[in-house]
Amino acid sequence: MTNSYPWAGRLIAAYIAEQASMEMEELPAARMIEGVGIEGDRYATGRGTYSYKPHEDRQCTLIEMETLDALRRDHGLTLEPHESRRNLTTQGVPLNHLVGRHFRVGEVVLFGGRLNVPCKYLDDLLGRPLFNPLLNRSGLNCRIIKGGTIRPGDVIEPV
Amino acid sequence: MKLLMAVEVVARRQVTPRVVQLTLRPAKRAAFPAFRGGAHTILVLPDGKRRLYSLTSDPDRPELWQVAVLREAAGQGGSAWLHEAAAIGTRLLASHPQQGFALAPEAARHILLAGGIGITPFLSMLPELRRAGADYEVHFCARSEAEAPFLPELRAALGDRLRVWIAQRLDLARLLACPAPGTHAYCCGPARMVQGFAEATAHWPAGTTHVEHFAGIPRAEAQQGEAFEVEIASSGAILPVPADRSLLEVLRAAGHGVDAACEYGACGSCVVQVEGGEPLHRDVCLSPAARRRSMTACVSRGRGRLRLAL
Repeated sequence: MTNSYPWAGRLIAAYIAEQASMEMEELPAARMIEGVGIEGDRYATGRGTYSYKPHEDRQCTLIEMETLDALRRDHGLTLEPHESRRNLTTQGVPLNHLVGRHFRVGEVVLFGGRLNVPCKYLDDLLGRPLFNPLLNRSGLNCRIIKGGTIRPGDVIEPV
Repeated sequence: MKLLMAVEVVARRQVTPRVVQLTLRPAKRAAFPAFRGGAHTILVLPDGKRRLYSLTSDPDRPELWQVAVLREAAGQGGSAWLHEAAAIGTRLLASHPQQGFALAPEAARHILLAGGIGITPFLSMLPELRRAGADYEVHFCARSEAEAPFLPELRAALGDRLRVWIAQRLDLARLLACPAPGTHAYCCGPARMVQGFAEATAHWPAGTTHVEHFAGIPRAEAQQGEAFEVEIASSGAILPVPADRSLLEVLRAAGHGVDAACEYGACGSCVVQVEGGEPLHRDVCLSPAARRRSMTACVSRGRGRLRLAL
């Protein structure tokens, strides 16, 4: 049984940050390096907030656009995709159900390692009370199983 | 908002023998985020040192920021590096604007009191005051004309609104004796001046006096005090903080990535949430409300055991 509940979503945007606490930059195309991270991103170069605790699930992080919409709708909180500290913003992708699953983003294959856990660090960085509203929907931390280049608009689907 | 931006030094000007002005442009964005006069930024130097500098440029010019750096003879090397090594083309990181100090929009009249390098936060307020057609006066104290940064520009721009006190004591108690309704007073300068300002305005209505701290408690004292211990809420770990170490050092040694910038209790970068126990606050930045639930890890300490939300 590979895909009993079919779904297909899209990549809205891709971001990297050169080092911890730096503003994220939007990329027209992101080069995903298998087993490493996103070219130029802090977790590919060992300069992230959590790089002192290396883990393969930090290679790439994703968050749903639907979550950012819900923060605005239900809590009046603005969290723009480039502020979220996650690399990829998705739409129509059930991220919480992809723990332990492989899925495709354009030509790249990711593995959902574990759910992302919100961190007070983001509240301090942005000066907004995001911790509680992000509980249980803070995104997905992934390993890059097959590298390649991805672009906004790429289809995201189960493998 | 403590987010960092990549910036590039695009101009340098020696303002006085000990003060250099750096002009910064954003390296990866078209313009800097908006700020109000009096804000500061945290510059992150290549070795990771963090230093706070007031933005001295006009808030209406988001394409560039300027800061003025006093070379601290007895400092930790941050200001010396900016003087000697931050050539045109150097890349640094700068935080989004930190807005603790600002003009009170409701004020009918503003009295600005600056000592030496303490003139810097006022430099970005002056264009706002001019544009608003506000009623204001500036008192500028310095040891000598040669050591008073931006004095010629201030004289040209402010005319009679500027009173300069060179090697001559400004009688704060007399100047501030009778607070007129709607008047707000602002002070930035050496610790002695800030102390004098606090005493001279003790009888002013709440909320009408404003201070920008360039120094908290002296660095030598900042890291020491009574021994205490902290309990980390998430792990239950108990960490002793000996008399000769700061809480910040102890937390970092235990692997907690606590931010810090000034390390003298003035900027609030290293604030940690307190869930229990009795902190001994030694900062100059937290409000009474903030002190009930948090503390600065760089200078504040505790009695017995504190429980931290880490």
